[in-house]
This record gives sequence, structure tokens and C-alpha cells, in this order.
Amino acid sequence: MGPLIVNDIISPDTNLLMAFIIGIGFGWVLESSGFSSSKKLAGLFYGYDTVVLKVFFTAGLTAMIGLLFMSLFGWIDLDLVYINPTYLTSAVVGGLIMGLGFIMGGFCPGTSMCAAAIGKIDAMVFIGGLFLGVLIFTEGYPLIEKMYMANFKGYPRLSEVFNISDGLMALLFIVMALAAFWLAERFEKKTPAPEY
Amino acid sequence: MRTRIIISIVFLSLGLIIAAIPNNKTLNFKMSAEEMIEEFNGRYQFISPDEIADMIISEDPNLQLIDLRSESEYKEFHLPGAVNIPFTDLLDDEYRYLVDQNLKINVFYSNGSVTSNEAWMVTRQLGYRNNYVLEGGLNYWAETIMNPDRPEQTSPNEEIARYNFRKGAGAALGGGSIEPANEMPEPVLPAIKKRPQKKRAQGGC
Repeated sequence: MGPLIVNDIISPDTNLLMAFIIGIGFGWVLESSGFSSSKKLAGLFYGYDTVVLKVFFTAGLTAMIGLLFMSLFGWIDLDLVYINPTYLTSAVVGGLIMGLGFIMGGFCPGTSMCAAAIGKIDAMVFIGGLFLGVLIFTEGYPLIEKMYMANFKGYPRLSEVFNISDGLMALLFIVMALAAFWLAERFEKKTPAPEY
Repeated sequence: MRTRIIISIVFLSLGLIIAAIPNNKTLNFKMSAEEMIEEFNGRYQFISPDEIADMIISEDPNLQLIDLRSESEYKEFHLPGAVNIPFTDLLDDEYRYLVDQNLKINVFYSNGSVTSNEAWMVTRQLGYRNNYVLEGGLNYWAETIMNPDRPEQTSPNEEIARYNFRKGAGAALGGGSIEPANEMPEPVLPAIKKRPQKKRAQGGC
């Protein structure tokens, strides 16, 4: 609940409570739309089910449009919105490791929790691996710190990189997303889901 | 298929609207002259040497001292834990992660307070947060913390307590010896007001 907590409208404790409630809602929606099945995430990789791409891209679009309009109406100060700092090397290395983990396990951290909650053993193993990874990262941090902090690029935004207005970037992004959805669905029709 | 087309049209038209509207300039961070005057009058940017000394001694992890003087001056003497960013290099990309951040309390200092005030003003105009100025700079620091004036025996208790604190702090930070002004039963330390650290919600999948 970004701006609320920064402006001391709600306390950090209330923030945690709200996160808990929103988290339950998120988990419920994930499970009821079938994301707790590892076939969904694997489907994106093999091309027979691109719903993950569509859902997360649509979520991004909704948030982007919402933020831009709220900023336009003066409801939110975009300067207060957290932007992940970009460390290029660790982004590339971490992305590869995460991607490999996703496709090997068939879950992302969120969906693995969902699947574990409905009793899937593979998801529990996945969570075990997740904690193992956390442990290795934490204990091995001094070894990788140099690489972890390498290539710091500040807090770049696409609109700043291309030197165009936020709105135009948003429109381009929407067009790109719709094109990606269309291509994904065409691809999906051509690739039959494997029989398990 | 129909819903997909409808949703696509909704997204596209919203995108067209937002693209047609120029960037909202009113919300970009830019302080007017009046706001700047107000900030100066409030003297919000200053942190007193006593507060800094207390933070250094208690090893406050939020404190980040930034020495704006030249490298040679920095090498000769600098406050414990300070990093050197010569004023001319203040806006270099190399130092951006230090100057524009939301985790630590940055305290600029130079010999006086003119350079550090200039640095504060520049960063404030850029919308960077958490930057402050050591009141009076190193000169005032030397005057208050390293060689505090001995108060009169008839001074109010707070003043004697402040002197004792400064004397102690000075000793801890490499100044003279500890020697209380008089035998006070319980020296009351001057109230150090801690600045609340602004939190920022972090995101992630």
C-alpha cells in the first residue's frame, strides 16, 4: 500500500494486515484460475498454454494505466512509487537462475505456495528448494557480493531511456502487449498440449 | 473472441488518451522560490553537531556522512565513516546511488556550511530525499565537539550537561580528555531528537 504508508496514513502493522488480506485474495484467485497446476507455467515454455503471459501482462497494463491516470488526476505522486534499482549483471544472472528454476519446477514462488496449500507434494519440494536457495544466497553472499552489485544503472525507466513521454511509452507498451497476445494465441493453437 | 476484442479496444483507447495528454508537469518535483524560502526559514536541513556526534558514537547504521571537500582535505581529516564526494563531482553517476536514495540519512559537510548548503539545495531541487547538512560544518564541529567552551559554574544544568556530553563525545571521537565541568549528581544528556526514517514500500513478484 505504497503511498499510504509513506505518508503515515496507515501504520506498518496495518500495512502487514492489509498485505495478509490481499495475499489471501491473490492466492484464492491464483488457485481458482488453475495456476496451482505446474502445467500452466510449463505450458508457456513449451507453447501450448500462454495464459501466464496474458495474465501477467494484463496485470502490468492495468497497473500502468491506473498509475498514469491517478497521477494525471493528482491522486498519486509517481516520485513516491518504488522503482527497483537496476544492477544489470545480477539481473541477467538472477533471471537465468529464476527461469531455469521456474521451468524445472513448474512453479513460480507465488503459485508454489498455492499448490502447496492444496497439498501438492511437488510444490512442497519446490518450496524446500526455494528455502535452500535463500540459505545458499545468504551464506554465500560475501562470495558473490561483487557480482551482485556490479553494473549499477540507477533507476531507469523505459520512457527515459527512449526519451519519450510516459503516455506514449504506455501506448507503445499496450500495442506491444496486444500483439504478443495475438501471436501467443496463434502459437498456442499450433502447439497441441501433450498428453500426461 | 468478442470479449477479447472489447478488452483490446478499451486498453487501446485508454492508451491513446494517456498518450495524447502531455506529461503531467505539475506533479514533477520542482520547488518554487517560495517553497525554497520556506524550507530555508524552517532550517529543516540542518542537523546539529550534537546529534551527529551521538549518531556516530552509537554507530547509527542510518547515518551516512558525505564529505564535500577535496580529496586531499578529506585524506587529511574526515569524520568517522564519512565518504568523500568532492562538491564538483556531486552529480556524477558514480555517486548517484549515494546521493539519491531512501534508506540512509545523508549528512553533507564541508569546512563551513556554504558548500554543504549548496549541495543540499541542488539535491533538494532534484527531488532527492534524505539529504541534510551538518550545521556550521567542520569549523563549528571543532568548536563545539572537539573544544567545547567551558560553561560558567552558575550556568543552568542543561548547559553543563551539554558541555559534559560534548567533552565525552570529543574524547570518544579523538579529542581531549574527559573532565566533567563539576560534580553533577546525574548529568542529563541533551535531548537528541531522532529523525523518523521514511519508509518506502518495496515491490516484487
